[in-house]
Amino acid sequence: MRYALFLGCKIPAALPAYECSTRAVLGHLGVTLVDLDFACCGYPARSYGRDAFVVAALSNLARAERAGLDVLTPCTCCYGTLRHAMRFFAEDAGLRSRVARALADQGLAWSGTTGVVHLLTVLAGTVGIARLTDAVRAPRTGLHVAAQYGCHALRPSDVTGIDNPMAPTIFETLIRATGATPVDWPRRLDCCGDPLHEADAALSGHMTRTKIVDAVESGAGTICTACPHCHLRFDAARATAPVPEVRTLLYTQLLGLAMGLAPGALGLPAGAEGSPGQGAAGAALAR
Amino acid sequence: MAPALLHAVLAASIALCVAGVVWRVSGWLRLGIGPDARDATPWQRARAVLASLAAALASRRAPRVAGTFLLDALLLRRLFARQKLRAFAHLLVVAGITLLVLLHALAPIVTARLFPAYQPTLEPWLFLRNVLGAAALVGLAVLVAGRARDRARDGLPRRPFATAFAALLGIVLVSGFLLEAHKIASPRAFQRMADQFAAAAEPAELAALRALWARDYGVAFDARRDPVATTVTEQGIRLHESACASCHARPTSAFVSWPLARMMAPVTAFLDATHADAWLLHLHVLACLLGLATLPFTTFLHTLAAPASLLLDAVARSGASPGRAPAAAARAVRRTLAPDACVRCGLCDAGCSVAPLARFLDNPLLLPAHKLVATGAVARGRLPLSGDGDGRPAREAVRIADGAFLCTDCGRCTRACPVGLDLADLWDAGRGDLAASGLPGTATWMQARPAAAWADALARRAVPRSPDAVDATGALLSTDRRAFARCVQCQTCTNVCPVVAHGAMAATGVDLTPQKVMNLLRLGLADLALGSRMVWTCAACYQCQQHCPEGIRVADIMCELRSLAVERLGAVREERA
Repeated sequence: MRYALFLGCKIPAALPAYECSTRAVLGHLGVTLVDLDFACCGYPARSYGRDAFVVAALSNLARAERAGLDVLTPCTCCYGTLRHAMRFFAEDAGLRSRVARALADQGLAWSGTTGVVHLLTVLAGTVGIARLTDAVRAPRTGLHVAAQYGCHALRPSDVTGIDNPMAPTIFETLIRATGATPVDWPRRLDCCGDPLHEADAALSGHMTRTKIVDAVESGAGTICTACPHCHLRFDAARATAPVPEVRTLLYTQLLGLAMGLAPGALGLPAGAEGSPGQGAAGAALAR
Repeated sequence: MAPALLHAVLAASIALCVAGVVWRVSGWLRLGIGPDARDATPWQRARAVLASLAAALASRRAPRVAGTFLLDALLLRRLFARQKLRAFAHLLVVAGITLLVLLHALAPIVTARLFPAYQPTLEPWLFLRNVLGAAALVGLAVLVAGRARDRARDGLPRRPFATAFAALLGIVLVSGFLLEAHKIASPRAFQRMADQFAAAAEPAELAALRALWARDYGVAFDARRDPVATTVTEQGIRLHESACASCHARPTSAFVSWPLARMMAPVTAFLDATHADAWLLHLHVLACLLGLATLPFTTFLHTLAAPASLLLDAVARSGASPGRAPAAAARAVRRTLAPDACVRCGLCDAGCSVAPLARFLDNPLLLPAHKLVATGAVARGRLPLSGDGDGRPAREAVRIADGAFLCTDCGRCTRACPVGLDLADLWDAGRGDLAASGLPGTATWMQARPAAAWADALARRAVPRSPDAVDATGALLSTDRRAFARCVQCQTCTNVCPVVAHGAMAATGVDLTPQKVMNLLRLGLADLALGSRMVWTCAACYQCQQHCPEGIRVADIMCELRSLAVERLGAVREERA
């Protein structure tokens, strides 16, 4: 199990805990991560035309192909963007030749032999739930967790292909493997509000807060994320609005704690995560 | 040159250098980058910097701050981590020039006081001068060659007067070696010294001395004019020891000048006739003084600005807080000194996340080094953002804004910068300035007018209808009728759209719904949708596309409408609504 790790821009800049917890957890599960000279996934260029965005995205896959590796990304937004670029490249012959020419200008080429996988798919599929369960040393029993899937992991399903877009189970299965209890919440498949934050902060904030309230009312004390954009948006909404106290935890942190890894290695404050339902507010809410 | 004139030139050069430095450094306090830059007066900014320094030095982390600064500024730790050869060459130049200035240029003030027996023609000074000069020259050559290669490969921005100043440094070093070599070989110099220190010597004694100096000291005598004894005799050695030896070591340790003197021997007589010792000295000294006087106006101001930047970076990282307002004011200073501290090394450009986009869009202003130069030019008022004052954004300004807003804030440039610039903060401040000048991010300027006003503007200017713009933007889904023709207006897309739902709840609302956008496409009225809030607040969550019973790629179409809008509405953007 060997992948090129695609962190994207958001994780190194704003959420280094996701990087270190991903490396820690995958390292312990025997997945080798290789660092390549990657650039932006291309998402910001979608408003500058399809060609620009596909060139930016595929320049990364070309580098991975040169190294003979598939790309693993823990960023759901990057995942969706890279998969979209692959689709546009595959279905549009005109775009294909223009993009290939633009890549060649930069000394790159992509013949389509490298793919992109999401962290959750690698954990649930390639590593496997059985192996995860084996690795759990400190089950998070009693922790009630709301799974935040993230739009670009699920939709459009003909591009992303992670799970059933209407009734996914992969994230809940992964949460169960840590000993925690996933909760059913009506808004679990909704957008977190991040993509429209620049265009309309009020509307975006309303979406985020609505989701947080929904998760808490559904019995969750923790919202578990697998995308830096969702994660940071929830964190920002918690900090700036009078919403119910709820914890956000990256899935790699939840799994790492269950595997008995030190909180420090997962980007968490040392000692703060010793037992399930940790933290006064979290414990009170972990019904 | 008469000493009085020399002193006048020296004084003028120092005055120009000091005045230039004061002017440039005061710019760090006067100029503003970022909307909050005017919050603090220059005086408050100066005090804030000193307060930050004091807070860091008073904290427990003071030794750490000092250590970080010394390693980064003097030993170029950050550059060593990425480019060893360049860092080493830079160290050679800095060490060579600094020590030459101290030990050689300022010899009467520094060296002669520290070492009372100092004579420039004794060891170890003869040897040291050659070591330092050769180090600086080799380092300079490596840097210039590397720079030329990088510029050709990466298209790095020009630096003000970099080549001219490097050439000046080269002239100083080369003329120094030539001068030393010529003085070793010159019979005229020998004669001048003999007149002064062996005035009483008989002609035969002098001939004997010449024999010794021709053999051991490399003087290229012309025997037809200056008689030279055929062998070195006791007489010559005696005169040498009484008149010369106390101030002259054999120059063989001058490993550059000595062989150079040997090579120059055939033309020494000619050079002597032209008074080469005088004009080489003038060239050497005047080049030094010209460098001194012009330094603040060239990119070599980085010798001051880069260490200042690294110091402020070490202070900011120390975590010692001088308070909120001083911290903000100190940050404002770090922004304005950035264009002066940047040496356009290109390490930021090389690792930039959007480098592939910069190439594809053919807009180098996406890349950090170019953005920094543009930001500096805007701050100095050399690059007006608002064009010719009629509210239209200047063409270059729009390209700057594209670069500023396509930046992903990944922070790689900040981490790569060898002079410790807080580029992430600088980009953020620059975007604030752009927004204040009427150049906000795309999603914002697009919403300045209602969709109908945009459509009117498009109609007035007769910008070709959307389908014709296909090639320009690579749009397809939103212009190919097959992509949306199957729409039955069932409203499923609207019903599952979180923006529509939350818009109603949050009372900010959208003007259209996804189904209405599809209908406008169906009716051939795409222009009416381009500037709509629906298109620009779409979260691209793909609920609509996932749920569409006809398999229409609604969200993909929304994304394409945005790129069509950037292209088409950009063309009529400057017109007042």
